[in-house]
Amino acid sequence: MPITVVGISHHTAPLEVREALAMSPERSLAALRALTDAGHAREAVVVSTCNRTELYLETERVLTEPTPFGARFLTEQAGLLGALDAGFFYTRQGRDAVEHLFRVVSSLDSMILGEAQIQGQVKAAYELAVHADPRPVGPVLARLFESSLGVGGRVRHDTALGKGAASIPSAAVALARKIFGSLRGRHAVVIGAGEMSALALECLAAEGIASLVVANRTEARARELAARFGGRSASVEELPALLAQAEIVATATSAPHHVLTRAMLEEVHPDGPRKPLLIVDIALPRDVEPTVGAIPNVFLYDIDDMQQVVEGTLEKRRSEVAVAERIIADGRDDFWRWYRSRSAVPVIRALRTQAEDIRRAETERALRALAHLPEEDRARVEVLTRQLMNKVLHAPTARLKEAVGEQPDADVLEAARYLFDLPDEDQVSDDAPHPPAAGGGERDPSGPAAAAPDRLASDGGEQGSQGAA
Amino acid sequence: MTLLLLAAALTLYLAAAGLLAASFAGGRAAAPRGPLLVVVAGLAAHAAGLAAFTLQWNEPPLVGLGPSLATFAFLIGVFLVAALLVAEARPLALVLAPLIAVLLAAGLVVGVAPSGDAPAFQAPWFSLHVVLAFVGYAGLAVASAAGLLYVLQFRQLRDKHFGRAFRYFPPLSTLDGVGRRALVIGFPALTAAILLGAGWTLRFREVAVISEPKVVWAVATWFVFVGVLMARRGGAGSDRRGALASVIGFVLVVLAYLVVRLTMGTGSTFL
Repeated sequence: MPITVVGISHHTAPLEVREALAMSPERSLAALRALTDAGHAREAVVVSTCNRTELYLETERVLTEPTPFGARFLTEQAGLLGALDAGFFYTRQGRDAVEHLFRVVSSLDSMILGEAQIQGQVKAAYELAVHADPRPVGPVLARLFESSLGVGGRVRHDTALGKGAASIPSAAVALARKIFGSLRGRHAVVIGAGEMSALALECLAAEGIASLVVANRTEARARELAARFGGRSASVEELPALLAQAEIVATATSAPHHVLTRAMLEEVHPDGPRKPLLIVDIALPRDVEPTVGAIPNVFLYDIDDMQQVVEGTLEKRRSEVAVAERIIADGRDDFWRWYRSRSAVPVIRALRTQAEDIRRAETERALRALAHLPEEDRARVEVLTRQLMNKVLHAPTARLKEAVGEQPDADVLEAARYLFDLPDEDQVSDDAPHPPAAGGGERDPSGPAAAAPDRLASDGGEQGSQGAA
Repeated sequence: MTLLLLAAALTLYLAAAGLLAASFAGGRAAAPRGPLLVVVAGLAAHAAGLAAFTLQWNEPPLVGLGPSLATFAFLIGVFLVAALLVAEARPLALVLAPLIAVLLAAGLVVGVAPSGDAPAFQAPWFSLHVVLAFVGYAGLAVASAAGLLYVLQFRQLRDKHFGRAFRYFPPLSTLDGVGRRALVIGFPALTAAILLGAGWTLRFREVAVISEPKVVWAVATWFVFVGVLMARRGGAGSDRRGALASVIGFVLVVLAYLVVRLTMGTGSTFL
């Protein structure tokens, strides 16, 4: 099982641990160098986001103690003193590692089901490794990551897993879009200058709002925030004038009383606003007097309402999971067939080398006896024998790849070596790929290999069938 | 050939309506593109059917209840496709595809064949008069469909029901824009049709017959249009009021047709 993933995620580790182990691109590159230079892995990719840090490894031999190894490696890379609890870490190997990556890219493993960022984050991690020097990505992880991105794309295209609003700010934008359509050219006011206001501003600015005004009791803070998002600042005393122009109002102050009252709005719009007015109250306690929602043409939503939008989206997304799982299973099986078929390469290479040796020797002997033939005909004989050899070997080559791709054991390779009298694997090539085993999943740290922590060892049991014929 | 093509168009409209209803019932976040392509295919068959009628009878399908309904349904389809080209309002077809299918089916049941032999009906300006009137009615039909979706979406938003309809229906501003454009096209068209009809009557009959059922219906529709446009003017909530007025207006026009037809329309070539 030389494909291994070891890491932490929001499923296993609290935020402070994830923060501590998160890697910048520079640190990821250093980790990749450390992994390959020390010979821990032939190929490696580091995926690090705010919700996970994972090492994807393709190793010479099966890692016997992947979890302690990963825990120690990631802790060292983070420069932490003392060991982290190994319970924060998990390991998947073989087929399970493949499936894990496909689930991650398809955002089935994300904190918010169906979130869109993870595909880009995994792609960036893969590209970082591809462009590193020395390059830590070889044929196996390249194929694995390319396949996973393809599967992720298919999941997004063929299911509604990425559709709808799944966070409070995106729910607010979804509500605004259902009222105004495009938000381009609209006028928005954000009341408050805290973290939630910044989030609201970020979402609104991304939608191409025409004018963004930040109103806050402390105007300096409002000015600073407005400058970040290309808006302008105002004091809360200017609110009535701002409300007369606004189409979207987001409030997120920490005031213990209502910042926006019905009386205030009725003073600005005595019969209600002529065009719809959206007010999004993301403060706790609420900033907007609830009766404001009764004013004609005013759409008032608080955090609970937006949570309802989010829940609706997540429920819809959950109903798509089964379809996504099928796409992932198909992708995993395709990859696994390819991966397993690689174990037939040494045998195929030996078979073809042997056949070519025979062909060349026999052709030379025949041509010696046919010395009278012109050069053109001698060349034809060469071509003929090569074509014959290729045609004869085509079926066994294809069948060998197919057989090891489909079957969990490799008896057929031994049979091929026996039938064609091929030399042993180690006599053929030093860089023959390792055959994968069928299983996967978390390795049992209490197993026999536990006595030799933090070392790489061969897996006699699962690789035994690959031995000499 | 005419009937075959119109029957094919009807089948395609019904299929599109069924597919849209299924997508809505299935909780999809947006109307799929497929059924709209089926509507376009239906519209192509419909156009071919009307062309075949014109070739077969040597007159446009504008006279008689069956041909009139077929043409009216076609114009609503044209309005729908035009609306989809300028706005992301696919769910409009959820209302309009069944309406088109019902009108075309009614036309086929009544019989798509000329009902009279008035030579004056073949004059080009007469065709213009009838087509303009149909454009007016079609505009009101589309405005009412957009208005209906607007009212429903408005309720979802006000009552905080973020379910199937909330996800599926277009934004309020989109529906308002479609409704407004349909009225802006429909009202002048109907006004022109009425003026042309009055001119024709005065020119050839030398007397205005205002008690004719089609005149009564057209004038009643014109006043409904005025009412709908007035409802959209100024003040808080004018968009919603306008949407509601479009729905009520279209219902009134249909009711007016039934009343006129039952009480005055016997033997009329148009109604």
